[in-house]
Amino acid sequence: MTKRFAGHTAVDGLSLAVPPGIIYGLLGPNGAGKTTSIRMIMDVIQPDAGTVRLFGERASGRDLAARIGYLPEERGLYPKMRVLDVLTFLAEAKGMARGAARDAALKWLDRLGLADWRLRRVNELSKGMQQKVQFISTMLHDPDLVILDEPFSGLDPVNAQVMKDTVVDLRRRGKTILFSTHIMEQAERLCDELCIIARGQKLVDGSLGDIKRTHGGHHLVIGFDGSAGMAPEVFGDKQLVKRVDDYGQYAELELAVGADAQRILQRLVASGARLSRFELMEPSLNKIFIDLVGPDAVHAAARPAVETARA
Amino acid sequence: MPPRDRPWRPRVHKVWAVVRREFVERVRRKSFWIMALLGPVFFAAVFLMPILMSGGGGVKRVVVVDRTTTTFGAVVAEQLDSTRRFFVVGRVPGRPGVEDSLAREVGLKNIDGFLILSDSVTDTGGAEYRASNVSSLEDVGLLRETLGRLAERARLERAGVDPAMVARAQIRVSLATKKITRGRTTEESAGQSFSLAYFMMLLLYISLLLYGVQVMGSVIEEKTSRIVEVLVSSLRPFQLLLGKLLGVGAVSLVQFAIWGVSGRLLLSQRASLVSRMAGGAREVGQVFQVPHVSGATALVFIAFFLGGFFLYSAMFAAVAATCSTEQEARQSQVPVTVLIMIAFFGSFATLANPESRLAVTLSLVPFTSPIATPARWAAGNLTALDVITSLVLLVAGTVIVTWIAARIYRVGILMMGKRPNLKELVRWVRAT
Repeated sequence: MTKRFAGHTAVDGLSLAVPPGIIYGLLGPNGAGKTTSIRMIMDVIQPDAGTVRLFGERASGRDLAARIGYLPEERGLYPKMRVLDVLTFLAEAKGMARGAARDAALKWLDRLGLADWRLRRVNELSKGMQQKVQFISTMLHDPDLVILDEPFSGLDPVNAQVMKDTVVDLRRRGKTILFSTHIMEQAERLCDELCIIARGQKLVDGSLGDIKRTHGGHHLVIGFDGSAGMAPEVFGDKQLVKRVDDYGQYAELELAVGADAQRILQRLVASGARLSRFELMEPSLNKIFIDLVGPDAVHAAARPAVETARA
Repeated sequence: MPPRDRPWRPRVHKVWAVVRREFVERVRRKSFWIMALLGPVFFAAVFLMPILMSGGGGVKRVVVVDRTTTTFGAVVAEQLDSTRRFFVVGRVPGRPGVEDSLAREVGLKNIDGFLILSDSVTDTGGAEYRASNVSSLEDVGLLRETLGRLAERARLERAGVDPAMVARAQIRVSLATKKITRGRTTEESAGQSFSLAYFMMLLLYISLLLYGVQVMGSVIEEKTSRIVEVLVSSLRPFQLLLGKLLGVGAVSLVQFAIWGVSGRLLLSQRASLVSRMAGGAREVGQVFQVPHVSGATALVFIAFFLGGFFLYSAMFAAVAATCSTEQEARQSQVPVTVLIMIAFFGSFATLANPESRLAVTLSLVPFTSPIATPARWAAGNLTALDVITSLVLLVAGTVIVTWIAARIYRVGILMMGKRPNLKELVRWVRAT
């Protein structure tokens, strides 16, 4: 699918397939097109080209709202409504019957420790509590597919934990979760599959393991204990090292094709470096991400003036 | 995209949820009940105040300073006394300095005022009334009328005309006005139909503004609180807008029902209320003529209110959708507000001449007809066909405006930041 805004293509020929029953991550730097893509999936905005299929049906997210839980990045509640009324209304708007919505809301409020606040107005709640209420509104109708746009942004640590636990629990119950983030550590721990996008285009997608195998190469982590010796010179040898991320006392190396890690070790020791760590490992998702996206993309993609899509 | 078959039940259910939320949240608010109470209070004030004010002054105690050389002063004093509005404390000859001492008496509140008469009353028609309160039009009018009548008689008598003949000549004509409404003579006076038209216009003007602004506030609230994105992922923007309009519209109807019932109660209790509060047995209905509101008039009022409400609220919603903050919305609503004001003041200006070309135009143009047509109907010179024509045009206009407004609304509610210019608005409307 493709979405263009005035003089700016936010999403360019992006194609995604999210298998059911997994946690799928949509990764990308700010301005990559994540939120725009999610909004198109939810039929909040319409693609200029391409189509969206949900549950194999050609129906819009709106018509299937009863089966989808959507937490947008910009989220809010009616500040003057009572907590229970807001939750009931939002579930009703998704097509749930009023009575069932009320019961489910009470159950969830009880589970998250907000039962005593059910008749308070939303603006009397603390920010953390409001986040919980928002969260309940996403899950209340027991959706099969949960779409979370930057779910962890702005959450306090306690709620981040609640969010993570719920996501894991949803997956255990066979639900599908699609979430976007630019925090790689989270994606690495949670996702079964993921897709990295930048400038509206897909860079890579697939299972986490596959991506690491294809894009990882051989990686070496080196920790120095005081003296780094002639390390920069060694890292600069294109015969041995393809790419380096040097922190001074710590470095991540990607080996050149056919290079032997032991040669590097010998040369480092010979140059007088004291090592605290020398480990061959698979690369972090963060590393892959930076490699793929490139440092320039992180600053790229200025937002069009009229569109808030922080994708 | 190809048409998809959507069952209608969930769609209606979703709109209904929005209607219910708008209605319940609004009726729960204190402001709703304050308005509900203020209506009858305002109503009572309009109908009772003139009576209370005119009755509240009570009988004026006056002294007649008589500088006439005839019996004119004595006759005036006697006649004034018999009006029951004035109690003539005494008649004093016009010594020099008497005005000052009487002014002191007025200051001490021993008397309310004094009337200075000289021969010039009958000669050139000049007299003077000094009092603590000369703003009561009724008192001054009565004074002027009494003096004029007596002076006229005195002049005629002086010219040698028979006093009996003068009395006969001065019998006043009482003109009863009865309005012909749609070919039938009613008991309604011109004053009544004017006050009915005026009252309906005022109510329509205030209500259209009040509830239009409420719709605007509701759109802005959803936008600023960012809840709108979750909402439009669950229901179509049009469903949301429709639910909003229906919900606020229902609130306005309930408000009218409360006002109507309480107004009716007040009117039925008016006689006893007035006599209890004013303490006098003055003729009720003399000051402010109470219009008769027929079922047909109520129907016309409600029909045009609803038409106008949907028309203007859709515009208010579209304006709100293009704004990101309440302040911005307050500034941007001005064109819409001005339209309502044109409708009100245009109708007001043509009230005296409801057959003029301007009045006819105002009641045909959808933006002004919600106020102009009910006003002309109340003035009594519209046929059912005129009303239906106007209503059909209003409905057509409302459909078109709502369609455009819904398209602006659909795009606008998700936009934050810069307000769109006209070119962008046109693109929003034309976008598929």
